[in-house]
Amino acid sequence: MTVAVASPLNRIYQGRIVHSRFWVYIGLMVGAALLAIFGGNGYDEDSYLFRLLSLQGVLWCGAGAVAGVVASLFLGGRAASGLNSPSIMNTTPWLDGLTLMLVLMAIFTLLEPHGSLISYEDQSNMVSGKIVMTMNMLFLFSAVCYITYLFAPESFIGKMATLTAWGGVYAGGSSLLLRWYESYLFLDGDIGHAPVSNLYEVFILLFCITCSIYLAFERRYQAKAMGAFVMVIIAAGVFFGIWLDSIGQADIKPLVPALQSYWMKIHVPLNFIGYGSFAVACAAGMAWLVRSRLEQKGTSKLLNVFPALDQLDQLAYKSVAVGFPAFTLATILGAAWAAEAWGGYWSWDPKETWALIVWLFYGAYLHVRISHGWSGKTLAWWAVVGFFVTLFCFVGVNMYLSGLHSYGRLA
Amino acid sequence: MSYYHKSVKPLLLRFASMTLAIVLLTVLALASMIGTVLLQNQEQADYLAQFGPVWYWVFRGLGMFDMYHAWWFIGLLGFLMLSLSFCLWHNVPRMLKEMRSRKVMLADRAWKRMPHTHEWMFVNETVERVQEKVQGITSWQWRIQKEEGKTHLRGDKGSYHKLGYILVHSAMLVILIGGWMSVQFGFRGNMAVPEGQAESKISYLKGTGVEGLEMPFDVRCNEFIINFYPNGMPKEFRSNLTIIDDGKEVLTSDIIVNEPLYYKGVRIYQASFGDGGSDISLKLLRLDGSKRIDTVKAEIYKTYTDAETGISMEFTDFKPYNVENMAAPGEPKQFQDIGPAVDFILRGPDLKAVKVRSFLNPFEVNGQNQGTLIMVSLTGDVRDFESFFLGPDLSNPKEWELFHVFGNKVAGAGEDAGKTAGIEAFKTAVNQVYGEKKPKDFQDLGLRALQGMSVLPSMPWPFIPMLDDYEQHYYTGLQLAHDPGMDVVWIGSAFLVFGLCIMLYVAHRKVWLVFEETDKGVKVRIAGMSNRNAMAFENEFNELLRELEKSLSIA
Repeated sequence: MTVAVASPLNRIYQGRIVHSRFWVYIGLMVGAALLAIFGGNGYDEDSYLFRLLSLQGVLWCGAGAVAGVVASLFLGGRAASGLNSPSIMNTTPWLDGLTLMLVLMAIFTLLEPHGSLISYEDQSNMVSGKIVMTMNMLFLFSAVCYITYLFAPESFIGKMATLTAWGGVYAGGSSLLLRWYESYLFLDGDIGHAPVSNLYEVFILLFCITCSIYLAFERRYQAKAMGAFVMVIIAAGVFFGIWLDSIGQADIKPLVPALQSYWMKIHVPLNFIGYGSFAVACAAGMAWLVRSRLEQKGTSKLLNVFPALDQLDQLAYKSVAVGFPAFTLATILGAAWAAEAWGGYWSWDPKETWALIVWLFYGAYLHVRISHGWSGKTLAWWAVVGFFVTLFCFVGVNMYLSGLHSYGRLA
Repeated sequence: MSYYHKSVKPLLLRFASMTLAIVLLTVLALASMIGTVLLQNQEQADYLAQFGPVWYWVFRGLGMFDMYHAWWFIGLLGFLMLSLSFCLWHNVPRMLKEMRSRKVMLADRAWKRMPHTHEWMFVNETVERVQEKVQGITSWQWRIQKEEGKTHLRGDKGSYHKLGYILVHSAMLVILIGGWMSVQFGFRGNMAVPEGQAESKISYLKGTGVEGLEMPFDVRCNEFIINFYPNGMPKEFRSNLTIIDDGKEVLTSDIIVNEPLYYKGVRIYQASFGDGGSDISLKLLRLDGSKRIDTVKAEIYKTYTDAETGISMEFTDFKPYNVENMAAPGEPKQFQDIGPAVDFILRGPDLKAVKVRSFLNPFEVNGQNQGTLIMVSLTGDVRDFESFFLGPDLSNPKEWELFHVFGNKVAGAGEDAGKTAGIEAFKTAVNQVYGEKKPKDFQDLGLRALQGMSVLPSMPWPFIPMLDDYEQHYYTGLQLAHDPGMDVVWIGSAFLVFGLCIMLYVAHRKVWLVFEETDKGVKVRIAGMSNRNAMAFENEFNELLRELEKSLSIA
């Protein structure tokens, strides 16, 4: 369970440094939240974002950060073990990652071409498009590396695979943040909105979430052979994303009135934590099936690379255990949004119904696993089929069925 | 055995059984799929056309067109509630008992099956001291029992783990009860309120019909506004509403799509909008050579009949903005608003009934006047509109006059007068109509006039209907809902998420210790297990061992 990080990095994940950093992050978030609530005449996203970057934002967040340092001194000083709380140790790297994405995004804004080259009608010159292309290349390269790794586990190719996968995650994450910034660059900044409003954007989000959940597992459980399966799923998604771009679905478009709500920024990413985990569970299921086939055939060199069946089974379950509560919460918060926008928390809209179907499917998975003690082949297949049900809920409903969620549709 | 134990209890146990639960979940999932493929709550006529009479009646009998409210689907949900109730009834007492009573002593056989065990011999220690040290580790909850000269100690972590199961399953029950309350005691319906008017009745679908419900108050729409993005897409639909209760105005407020209004337990949502009967006036430009222009007043949703020709126009819609993509296919999109337009169905003796869209303004590209545009749909479907450019800008009376004067001059010059005569005729016509103040776009005017000469005389109608003026009135489409079950659902949802987190992330970890006084010192045996996440528990168990060893001396 130990986090195996390169030695110079180890320092910043130990003791007081990581503890106070965690609390500074919390302080910054609380400061930003308080600014949203008390910092103006009600919450208005556009003015809030600008206020966050102004002196007022610096003061609120700065106060939050100072409060965080104080909290760290107070909380960490009392018990020696308090400094090594596992939840802080596990959470801080994710917050560090998000910070790094923000920094990358800030750097990329400097590369943005002159304003006259960017317009609503022609969005091809924006930097985010190039970063997304980089992400595509990194993920595809990483997929190739992970597959090669299966046959050459000793070579440096395994390290390359992990490295490029991380690169892809940061490229994808920062390109999304950059799109948020870019959405304010034309039409007088009138259409700026969070980059989770159409199929193209949420696909990028899905790659990043799936990949980072997998990478966290890889680091914790040394299950690198599973990477080939995760990356193949992501690579398939990358081709779909490229296709979406080629038919003009990558453009930033104004939000329809129904989507203009802070709920969008909560409901959508949370849902994709669910989808991403189910994708990883599917990959673990596939790896299980492949390994069991290899075992039946007899000795294969690949068997030394693959994690044990039992471990793959555990990993599939762990992914579902991450995804299921997130998906449940996302669906509930979606219902809360629907109660505010559509006149009722549940309308049996195709998307809602399919979310319920996905929920029931994984609910049954947990039942047979926890209470009936099933494992092995049936559950491996269950995880694989479950992801296809999820995919239909995600993409299929938008493409084939009509309903209230139709803004996810191809225009 | 009583009747209860013989017949009822096994049946109840079957309800509580897991297998039934899984079957129910699967059947529910499969049944839900049907309703997403078969479009729900459509027009009955559409279903009849789609399935034919036999299947239509079969499906209708099964409630397939509103299947989420059909008896069998409700029955399935009821069955799920029953199963959940019996599951809780069957398991909760046992789980609570398990949570309370923790066996401190572990049988030898069970000891052998434990995944983690260890043994020490502590010299120079007494049982009491060792026991105190162990109990000093406060992250575990300890229980003690002394028997046959041995001291037994049991430690627990996450013993509330079973609470997760109970929370999750009762949460599902609470959510389903909340849903039932919403359906049973709540309502949800639509009302259309034209600007300046008040309405108090909502209508909603029930089965295959529409039903109405009177609200205890009136809703007046003072104003409905649409704000647009710079590219012409709608940005905001906003209604200014006044609630009139008992004849008194009690509340005036704006609503937009994500911000409903709340009054007396009823939420009022912005759901749609449409034309609420705009006043319009039309110019009828007579094509009988008389140059006459008649102005008529009309209203959307009403029909105007021209007494002179017997032609009727049924006005169906009015839109103040008509944003169209002006770019050629394949080029970057270029949206442009071509101004207010009215839609109507034109019928008349010896005429094919068609749908017409008539604009207020001439059609302009890059500021250049292209003359009057009129759209005609032969099928009556707005998607089949075809554009016809009439030539002159008929909203300009001068151009209407020029068209006639030019026509007369050309006719006067005779058929074989040639091209130059045509130009001469045009020049004299312009001089006659405009005098000294000649228009700047002289050339375009000429082209438009020529086009008009060929298009207008071939029109099948005896007049050109042109939108002249309008006073727009929208109606705002509101949805009103009363939902007494909603808060119950939120409480259930909170339980659900909370319970899931306990169930999936909290492992019940147990350790057992036995202390025995021997000649050499204190012999301590330890065993441990966790009901999940074995890998994490191994670390935790080893950590506990290290902590004990640190504080005690080992032989």
